[in-house]
Amino acid sequence: MASQSEGGGKDDIKTHFVTREGTYKLMPLSEYSKPTRVPYNGQTNTPSRVSFINVNDGSPSPDRICFNVGRELYFYVYKGVKKAADLTKPIDKRLYKGTFPTCHDFNRMIISSESVRLLVGFTAGQLQLIDPIKKELGKLYNEERLIDKTKVTCIKWIPGSTNQFIVSHSSGQMYIYNEELPCGPTPPHYQPFKQGDSFSVFTCKTKSTRNPLYRWMVGHGPINEFAFSPCAQYLAVVGQDGYLRVFNYNSMELVGSMKSYFGGLLCVCWSPDSKYIVVGGEDDLVTVWSFIEKRVVCRGQGHRSWIGVVAFDPYTSVFSEEESDSSDKKTGSGNHENVVNGSLQSNRNSLECPSTSSSSNITTYRFGSVGQDTMLCLWDITEDIIKQPYGRSRTSILVTPNASHTLPRCNSLPQSQKSNSVASDLSLDGNAHPVTNHTSSLSTKFATLTLADRKESQERKEHKRNFSLASRSVDKNSILRSNHVKPVDDSIKLLGTSACPRLEESPILEPLVCKRIASERLTELIFREECIVTACQEGLVYTWARPGWTCPQGYANTMQHTVVSPQVGEVYQMQF
Amino acid sequence: MKMGNNPSQLEKEIGTEQLPANEHYFGLVNFGNTCYGNSVLQALYFCRPFREKVLQFKQHQKNNKKETLLTCLADLFYSIATQKKKVGTIAPKKFITRLRKEYELFDNYMQQDAHEFLNYLLNRVSELLQAEKQGNKPKSVNNPEIQSKPEPTWVEELFQGTFTNETRCLNCETVSSKDEDFLDLSVDVEQNTSITHCLRGFSSTETLCAEQKYYCEVCCSKQEAQKRMRVKKLPQILALHLKRFKYMEQMNRFTKLSYRVVFPLELRLFNTSDDAFNPDRMYDLVAVVIHIGSSLNRGHYISIVKSDGFWLLFDDDIVDKIDPSTIEDFYGLPSDLQKNSETGYILFYQSRE
Repeated sequence: MASQSEGGGKDDIKTHFVTREGTYKLMPLSEYSKPTRVPYNGQTNTPSRVSFINVNDGSPSPDRICFNVGRELYFYVYKGVKKAADLTKPIDKRLYKGTFPTCHDFNRMIISSESVRLLVGFTAGQLQLIDPIKKELGKLYNEERLIDKTKVTCIKWIPGSTNQFIVSHSSGQMYIYNEELPCGPTPPHYQPFKQGDSFSVFTCKTKSTRNPLYRWMVGHGPINEFAFSPCAQYLAVVGQDGYLRVFNYNSMELVGSMKSYFGGLLCVCWSPDSKYIVVGGEDDLVTVWSFIEKRVVCRGQGHRSWIGVVAFDPYTSVFSEEESDSSDKKTGSGNHENVVNGSLQSNRNSLECPSTSSSSNITTYRFGSVGQDTMLCLWDITEDIIKQPYGRSRTSILVTPNASHTLPRCNSLPQSQKSNSVASDLSLDGNAHPVTNHTSSLSTKFATLTLADRKESQERKEHKRNFSLASRSVDKNSILRSNHVKPVDDSIKLLGTSACPRLEESPILEPLVCKRIASERLTELIFREECIVTACQEGLVYTWARPGWTCPQGYANTMQHTVVSPQVGEVYQMQF
Repeated sequence: MKMGNNPSQLEKEIGTEQLPANEHYFGLVNFGNTCYGNSVLQALYFCRPFREKVLQFKQHQKNNKKETLLTCLADLFYSIATQKKKVGTIAPKKFITRLRKEYELFDNYMQQDAHEFLNYLLNRVSELLQAEKQGNKPKSVNNPEIQSKPEPTWVEELFQGTFTNETRCLNCETVSSKDEDFLDLSVDVEQNTSITHCLRGFSSTETLCAEQKYYCEVCCSKQEAQKRMRVKKLPQILALHLKRFKYMEQMNRFTKLSYRVVFPLELRLFNTSDDAFNPDRMYDLVAVVIHIGSSLNRGHYISIVKSDGFWLLFDDDIVDKIDPSTIEDFYGLPSDLQKNSETGYILFYQSRE
């Protein structure tokens, strides 16, 4: 497995990488950017983000791409792994003055080849609704900045809605708007509507209905991103205070939370079956949190800096062959009693959450992450990780023969190496049915992996340790005694719980792939059927063809487990 | 940079009522290239435990004390802490004069390195405290062993951590470990990384081979060995020095690495040893000394500090309130081409517990 760990490795920028399903290749002719490439001057500090929409016009290229670069916003036909559209002929291009676009989202309910609805958020807090095809629509919200003056950090249509959307700001507030309503000439007055642990919801107190419909205050400090579960019932919010908070959106109840190991959480995403949430942040870790068990499942270590985007890859997640009768059929409320044991309460939430596909039998989840280190990491969460109950890994450490390692290393093994016969009882609580032979097989894995680890660390020679010498031998006890005793705050109390395990209490995943793929910080990652799309700070949008999709003929191929096609893509090898 | 902000403006910005009681924000006058000192002094002043110890020292000081760098530091901190006004400027003249008197001994090109100054100051204060302790002790204890192993002063109590240096002989697999103390950690920097990654690099395994072979006492011969250092005792105040000045032989001078190295407001360490006493200690960023410019001998130092929930920027005699989001401006440059930059140089993290 082409796994390359932190610290080591060469720093060349990669144009392809290999996973178990084959080789992913950068398609240089599919690159999107500003039509006029100017040398990067380091001045734009708004990350470039990408939004896609399929307009279903029956043409061979029904996809449209939108991305922001500095003060500009571009809208093109997206041709996937085929040669990019003519960059000098965008369908729409907007240039903003005094404020920079930060994020955007297409409405998925009202789409036609003549009209799409795109929401855009800006650094100074304003919001805009535009139609980049028709070009006539151009509503502004919070134009006078009476509602919120701070940067828009995330903007999204409410799933299934044609007119309501949510926007988060670095003020730590989220607002719900109806695009048809006015924002009013005066600052809104709010009245409390609902309050809970570390959040409160307000409504706008006016005679006539106006925007915003609701104001949510969540946690302390900026909200960095939020995401609706694929089942559309839950809203996951991450913020600078290091917390992930998951709300039942309609009942406005906090249903779960976790804390980063340290520092702010910058990004969040849901697994396709709404069962897992992955977050990334300033601790350089990706953290997998189980929505059903409400616990941290594992952490992934591989990035060299903060992680800006995480995304699940629904196309390479492995589904078990067996027909599962567990989750889908239990959705009926009468069947709750069939679920024996104490975690009924938490199960109920998940059962109410319909899954998008035959999701209950995903056995290996694939997700990716990109960050300020210019690296792309891909991760597999396998069944043995998912099933490992909280705190179990501690036992595994003791089994590890090489005691000099602090961290249990737990590599994700390819699906083919395990039986997936237990897939259907991947049931809703790992705690209740711990599979004993799983544990034992795990410790063997730890043992082997530790060896591999040592070998890998031998390769990391180039790092020199450095320290300032102030050599004085000292009675250590007197130093320990001097620690100031202060009241302990919440985030410290959480350490050692399932909301923030100690390092050794939770398995550490290593990335399947960890490659430097750009010269600038990476700011976007989207998994599509035929490709992976990445973008970087300077506004270059890259398309990475999946195995078997490197040539246009590849369109005929099917996705899952394709045999790698002849390497037609060689001509695309690009020198940076 | 010198936009200027007179004291009353700062008061207006923060709001007079919101100014915390008992907190004073005083810029320090520059006496000609003394910004390296001013920036470090401000950072240390806002490391609250350090300030408290210095002020305690001042309180217990006898009047007839002879002047030392420590008494000058104590007088300076005392005069800031006892100002009637909340904001203003102060001239650290006595301290600088004293420092220059002592610094003449250090006749080298590093004179204006803020890190060198920090190191010197902490060690000097520790020595002075040590000498004082010795002086107070009855002379009967004349054991040379005790003298070579001095008791820790509050400087060590605040800043000193221990790392353990593990060496594994590749021939007999024997692991030997040796503990060493540090007052701050100097870490190598890489482009587009985090301070967490840089600290990891500090603890990455190094192989000793060829001329660097290690003498193994079990094998009784020089052997290839693996060596790594991990933190065993985490200090109360973790001072991290980013090694941004690299000596370039062909140019015969130090050049600046302006790499973008991000540092979070909250930090835990990954590179702790298995027997570490408090490996998950949570740290909060309280102060950063920032280097502005393109080389070690030219340029300017400023500092940003956290006080009562908001951030302040000290540029010699100028004090400004800054939004926490502007800390991003001091991470460094993502492009390797430019050398002139405003970059975090020394980070002060204070333990939360």
